[in-house]
Amino acid sequence: MSSENTKNVMIIGGGIAGIQSSLDLGDMGFHVDLIEQEPCIGGRMAQLDKTLPTNDCSICILAPKLSDCFRHPNIKIHSMTKVEGIAKKDRGFSVSLKRQARFVKEDLCINCGMCVAKCPTKVLDSFDMKMRKRKAIYLYYLQGVPAVMAIDKVNCLHLKNLEKNKNVCGLCQQVCPKDAIDFTEKDTIYDLETDAIIMANGSNQYDPTPLYAYGYKKYKNVITSLEYERMISASGPTQGHIKRLSDNVHPNNIAFIQCVGSRDEHTNPYCSSICCTYSTKHAILSREHDENLQSYIFYIDLRAGGKGFQKYINRAKNEYGVKYIRGKVAEIKIDEDENPILFYEDLDTFEVSSKKVGLVILACAMIPSKGSEKLAKTLGVELDRFNFVKSSIDSPVKTNVPGIFAAGSVLGPMDIPHSVINASGAAAITAEYLSKGEK
Amino acid sequence: MISNIQSKGMGMTLTIDYDFRKQIQGFNLSVNYCFQCATCTGICPVAKMTNGEFNPRKLIEASILGLKDKLIELQQPNVWYCLTCQKCVELCPQHVELTEIFDVIKNSCVKSGKIPDAFNSQAITVLETGVALPFSDAIMKRRQKLGLDDYKTADPKEIQTLLKGIGFDKLLRFETTETNEKKGEK
Amino acid sequence: MKKDLNHKLFLGCVIPARLPFIESSAKKVFENLDIGMTNMENASCCPDPTGIPAVDQTTWLTLGARNLTLVENKKDDIISLCSGCVETLKMVDHTLTEDPAKLEEVNKNLAKIDRKLEGSVSVKHAGQLLYENLELVKSKIVKPLKGLKVAVHYGCHFLSPSEIIKWDDPFEPKTIDEIVGVLGAESLEYDSKLQCCGNPMLKTDKDLAYSLLYKKLSDMEKAGVNCITVVCPSCFLQFDYQQKAVNKKYGTNFKFPVLYLTELIALALGYNDQDLGLKLHGIKPKKMLQELNILSKE
Repeated sequence: MSSENTKNVMIIGGGIAGIQSSLDLGDMGFHVDLIEQEPCIGGRMAQLDKTLPTNDCSICILAPKLSDCFRHPNIKIHSMTKVEGIAKKDRGFSVSLKRQARFVKEDLCINCGMCVAKCPTKVLDSFDMKMRKRKAIYLYYLQGVPAVMAIDKVNCLHLKNLEKNKNVCGLCQQVCPKDAIDFTEKDTIYDLETDAIIMANGSNQYDPTPLYAYGYKKYKNVITSLEYERMISASGPTQGHIKRLSDNVHPNNIAFIQCVGSRDEHTNPYCSSICCTYSTKHAILSREHDENLQSYIFYIDLRAGGKGFQKYINRAKNEYGVKYIRGKVAEIKIDEDENPILFYEDLDTFEVSSKKVGLVILACAMIPSKGSEKLAKTLGVELDRFNFVKSSIDSPVKTNVPGIFAAGSVLGPMDIPHSVINASGAAAITAEYLSKGEK
Repeated sequence: MISNIQSKGMGMTLTIDYDFRKQIQGFNLSVNYCFQCATCTGICPVAKMTNGEFNPRKLIEASILGLKDKLIELQQPNVWYCLTCQKCVELCPQHVELTEIFDVIKNSCVKSGKIPDAFNSQAITVLETGVALPFSDAIMKRRQKLGLDDYKTADPKEIQTLLKGIGFDKLLRFETTETNEKKGEK
Repeated sequence: MKKDLNHKLFLGCVIPARLPFIESSAKKVFENLDIGMTNMENASCCPDPTGIPAVDQTTWLTLGARNLTLVENKKDDIISLCSGCVETLKMVDHTLTEDPAKLEEVNKNLAKIDRKLEGSVSVKHAGQLLYENLELVKSKIVKPLKGLKVAVHYGCHFLSPSEIIKWDDPFEPKTIDEIVGVLGAESLEYDSKLQCCGNPMLKTDKDLAYSLLYKKLSDMEKAGVNCITVVCPSCFLQFDYQQKAVNKKYGTNFKFPVLYLTELIALALGYNDQDLGLKLHGIKPKKMLQELNILSKE
């Protein structure tokens, strides 16, 4: 436990930014409470197959950091926990937290998976973008930390029937070799004192359903980038095989549409900054999966501002045969075999054409995460007009509330390198703030 | 002051007319927002059917560049091919008001004496009778048979006073044209 | 049923002077549903949004404003059976409400005929009014239109510009399909459902107008429809009168009868073809409707 003189920092959000800030501050000697609403930390990066522009395995870079966080003497992970309220104290804040019941004792579970094998209930898995089903008792993802199961209260048969005083199922409890399952666990509300807070609750992917011209949800073979990311992940719903959702057949050609919900006054007027490069990543990885697979990327402008990004795009064009077509796809229709047909003007040839492909991937905008608005309101943090956290003019990681800082894509669309830089920056500014003893 | 900058492109000498450019912006500033993404052309049914010969993006591009010759003299693309279906307006990510801007260009064509026959005929009918389709005797009988009351439209004199007051009549061609298209389809 | 505004029916040009059976079917429906409606007298051409603003935008604004002055004063609202008229009147109303300078200029011209536009006027398409009274319509159906496989054609100006029309979604409209369903008929999806019928193209390039129409008709045929429903007289003319021209150009044999939305509702409410003047259509619907037992065989 921390001594009297150790300062405490609460970091809200266990994605790469939150993790990086935690490690930086923990290494500096501060005590960190890392608050994460899901059963495991890892965030968006855990869902990715590879990172750009090096095409390194994402989880391979993330896992050591997850381990470090878990084992760090100065970092305490509060999983399945959300911020409910906050009060300004003489020094720092008192934050009221709600920890959802996991129904599995974290110190007993050995992650053997016998409970999962027995559980009869199947639920659409949000980690896998609802492309696969998990059980009601589940591990959030394979490499997740804490590596402990959780029970989904909403779908668990036993818990649902407990309220009606019926004793149903409970098979997981019967087979658990460590007796780790505790159906009597309750949600707990507790207060935590802290000297500073870093908001790192990340971002979400825009849901393109309202863009009816693209037919997302109407046409099975039109999917989003995150769904494709899970598809090409070896640990994903199709074990890394590229398949059309309508018939599970491998497509011969695929198309990526950029700026879906970005740079659009009807949805989000800003550029989401990373989609041009991550679609390039997807196209390169697709060719690595299948050397006959042809990828088309439909763009307005190719934005590749990060280190190595332009080179990455040139590689895609020259080494991986990716065809970049300038011209935004206006609408998608399908033929009798559910092949998407794209309608566009090719701005290099001025031809008004249509192109039939096997699968379409919509590169959707990066929007503030679902709980962001509520959290900001609770903390008193000002948001900008897009509902990202408003940075102060003198320091991008400072918010309008002294002692509350922000890091990562909660501030705006950004890629992993920038989130990490941001996070370390926030850690440094927080440390500075704490060392000065400001109020 | 008209300032011309001549530039060669695609085998044609194009003149950038700054006054024309400012004129269009004066009628509808949204023309400036276009970043040439071509979503409009992608959705346009006429662009699809004419293989790009009619191209809304090109019309906006020419407007931004003030290419008066192209738009008014040569009418390439021919702005009169716009259906006013407004699918382009619905999808344009920058809220460019294409259909209205095309009307501005059409108005310019009309002022230059280039008004297509069908538009001219309709306008003359509205000027002279106040409506686009005057009532024939046959229709009056038909209306009676269907049990409909007489429908009184505006007094043509009032409409003429109004329209002549804004110079509408001066825009139209009153000589008979060689091809007398069967008037009827609107 | 709200009765806070008096409904004034803006008939436009095409319906009263060319397609009076649409007017009569609408009036019968309103009467049956006890929706009070009186003709808006003294109206001029709205003016036609596909023809007049192309010649001169000022004329369009001025004539439109003049029509708006015929109701006004918060007591009346304008209902129209023509999407073009609704679009023009809504857009003129919106433009002049947002831009006081333009309103002043228009009023200067209107002063020459002793008129002045003050304030905003509510304009609504009859299709919207009927949708808002759908429960009432449902309760008065005597003849469900079973067997009618309808190709619903929303047209363009019924939906766009959606920021001003503010009714149905331009890429996923549902209201007319819903009405058709309530009437007992089946609305079939077809590929070019949202495409313009091509009517305005008749003023510029007739051949291309036929090509646009052909695309719609062939997709409708592929879907297996037996009739077409429209909410705009221009679309009505295009579908009812020009299938012949398409057949001539393409060697096809399209012969889909066209029923305006109010005719469809009137049939479901029990009116017969005599009441509705169906024989005045270009493509006669009577035989098909008799075969489906929607009209009695005499």
